[in-house]
Amino acid sequence: MSGEVARKRRKGISIGLDRFAGLYLLGLFIVVFGIWKPDQFLTSGTLHSVASAQAITGMLAIAIIIPLAAGAYDLSVGATINLSSILAIWLQTAQGVSMGLAIAIAIAAATLIGVVNAFVVVRLGVNSFIATLGMGSIVAAVQTIIVGPSQPVSPVNQTWHDITTTTIFGFQAVVFYLLILGLVVWWFLARTPAGRYVYATGSNSEAAHLAGVAVGRWTFVSLVLSSLIAGVAGVLYGSLYGPSLTYGSSLLLPAFAAAFLGSTLVVGGRFNVWGTLLAIYALATGVKGLQLVTGAQWLAQMFNGVALITAVALTVWNHKRTVATRQEESEIEDVARADDRVDRQGSEVT
Amino acid sequence: MRALEIRDLSKAFPGVLALDRVSLDIGPGEVHALVGHNGSGKSTLIKILAGCETPESASSILVGGDRLDLGSPQSSYQAGLRFVHQDLGLIDSMSVADNICLTGGWQTSFGTIHPRAAAREAARALAAIELDVDVDRPVGELSAAARTGVAVARALRPDEGSRTAVLVLDEPTATLPMHEVEKLLDVVRSVAASGIGVLYVSHRLGEVIDLADRVTVLRDGRKIVTLQARDLSQADLATAMLGFELEHVPALAATRGGESAEPPALTVEDLDAGVVDGVDLTLERGEIVGVAGIEGSGRDQLLPAIFGALPRRAGTVRIGGRTLAGAPGPRSSINQGIAYVPADREHQAALPTLPARENVTIAGLGSLSRHGGIRRRAEREEVTGWFDRLDVRPPGALEEPFDSFSGGNQQKLVLARALRCDPAVLLLEEPSQGVDVGAQARLHVEINRFADDGGAVLVSSSDADELARLCRRVLVFQRGRIAAELQRSALSEASISHALLAESNGAPA
Repeated sequence: MSGEVARKRRKGISIGLDRFAGLYLLGLFIVVFGIWKPDQFLTSGTLHSVASAQAITGMLAIAIIIPLAAGAYDLSVGATINLSSILAIWLQTAQGVSMGLAIAIAIAAATLIGVVNAFVVVRLGVNSFIATLGMGSIVAAVQTIIVGPSQPVSPVNQTWHDITTTTIFGFQAVVFYLLILGLVVWWFLARTPAGRYVYATGSNSEAAHLAGVAVGRWTFVSLVLSSLIAGVAGVLYGSLYGPSLTYGSSLLLPAFAAAFLGSTLVVGGRFNVWGTLLAIYALATGVKGLQLVTGAQWLAQMFNGVALITAVALTVWNHKRTVATRQEESEIEDVARADDRVDRQGSEVT
Repeated sequence: MRALEIRDLSKAFPGVLALDRVSLDIGPGEVHALVGHNGSGKSTLIKILAGCETPESASSILVGGDRLDLGSPQSSYQAGLRFVHQDLGLIDSMSVADNICLTGGWQTSFGTIHPRAAAREAARALAAIELDVDVDRPVGELSAAARTGVAVARALRPDEGSRTAVLVLDEPTATLPMHEVEKLLDVVRSVAASGIGVLYVSHRLGEVIDLADRVTVLRDGRKIVTLQARDLSQADLATAMLGFELEHVPALAATRGGESAEPPALTVEDLDAGVVDGVDLTLERGEIVGVAGIEGSGRDQLLPAIFGALPRRAGTVRIGGRTLAGAPGPRSSINQGIAYVPADREHQAALPTLPARENVTIAGLGSLSRHGGIRRRAEREEVTGWFDRLDVRPPGALEEPFDSFSGGNQQKLVLARALRCDPAVLLLEEPSQGVDVGAQARLHVEINRFADDGGAVLVSSSDADELARLCRRVLVFQRGRIAAELQRSALSEASISHALLAESNGAPA
């Protein structure tokens, strides 16, 4: 068995089998529904509406992949996005606060939630799943305490609505905010030392600590960032759709489904921005097409649930497979190179 | 009749012949050792015996003269093959009795466990291998050797349906402290004495020669030779394993370090942490110093305490004469010239899901940063350099996740991470744990090279042979203190083992 053969074999395997599965799926949906319902599906209207309808979910998904990359769950973002949008609207219509200040307070409140989350998880050492699950409930209660049980009225201020609904090339502005957010978070996670530390913390926090990574700090930062982004997304939701007391929790599952499905895409094996966005839009396109064909209302829920479970199952399976084959090869190469190792060591020692 | 007979065992994976017509046999009561370095086919052979892999059709395996139905775990069990894997599969929080009953089932009435019957059964299983442990104690409280013993007792637990013919032990001593190895070997001897054939897989050649009746050497999937263990030397065995003679790391130059006026690379004064109790030590530049000690002696806490991973109650650490500034901790230590390779690679060093590249650079991203981002090409070039320098296999696999590499290559990546920090002092714990002899030699060359360039190395290892080959002097720990210091001239595996045992025998019980 020579090293050459082993290396060739490795190349054959390393071709991305499923890293772009999301893209193929998206293409498949477009082709199938394009042929099936060309008049309704293949329109710029469908494109624009799918793009806007998923923008807020996309932002929430991007928010949660930061703590997920650091190995922490943030289940409170649903309540946070909800509080942020209600607060921004209620401050304007019930309290007469100016729009700019209302937005600033809403985002600040969301960020504060993140700080409390981070404190409970990092300083008190509570498991993030539990801490943020509890925090979600607390935030929902706080929202009712502040705003009361009845829905505030929508601001009449046109600028408020223009923030998200101004169209550029036929797309609503909110779609571009999603892209900008995606770019910023992608750069943070994939291109900066800080992002590297976040991923290292999530991969093995003790090893990261011993390698000099301030794991507590990066977990803290990741939880604050997810709440901050949820706060921004909440304000944009309020501008786009108006007040809603309880929509946040319904966005949580699609966001997690996209994050986990996205972790198998584009950059396989880790939570990443572009995989997440690809997952969101592939799923949304499928749902949209099927709705045009059947008109069924349960499709989105079914799709998201199946996607979440399938994504995690895929990750587990894929990981097992690659580890098994690659370790074997690594060992085979050890053997293949045993001979020249001797020669080179001989010369290095002297 | 032979307890186990393997004839012409072959197994091909796509593009690789993992086993090539391997034949070997084990008599009843024989301890038969199987050695060979990573990739030699040992693991495949064990998997086939366990029924987890199906070999090529020309192969046959006979257990007690009966042909084994290949590729079925049930028939392997029925035929009387029993396995203790490196991961013992014990649950630390459960009692010895519950662990032993876990695989075979508890005796129950109306679904309720009879605790006394379980205890009795466990006691019987333990008595069969002459192991004396309290069946009510949680397994997590036992010593490492006793835990392995419990796993052996469980594997050999009597079963009306089938009698045990052969016990397969896969690297049972890999993680055992030195003084416990002998206890486990006693367990293995008593198993063999009861007429069971033992297939014993280990990297530790000394114990193989000590324990086994015969040794079979595998290399590249082929059986090289089966030898009588009695007259075998470790050097001969290593040569058979590798197919070439193990290189000799040259003795250190006598002039290195010492009399010069420059401050020592590492000074530790009055260090108090964990069981480490008032330790002073000094390392000159270019020195490789070993630390030996039995479990609980403080050996395994010294390096974390110096590095700042373990809180210090008292003491100062100086690098090149300068006291470490700031709060002690990994980051601060790395910044001030200390790098640390922990003993537990899986839990303390591996970033398993991240690519090899990121694993190598994680401890020192500062030099690669520009405008808040990471210079990716520079990073790739640098890591490619480390792959070449440490001969990481497969070459160029920078983007593959860490846990897809074999043990030896993982260890090289961890060493590269430490060396890349350009430390003045390198702290190494068990630097070649679970690593085959070839990769170990490679790591030793690199450690020597680091010292030749003026670095100081503190090596903590439970492998006396490794310390003897690598170090200029060895500090022997006992009850948290340095009890003895062995100088180069007096260093050998035997002298270190002797120092450890002599000390521990003298200790109050």
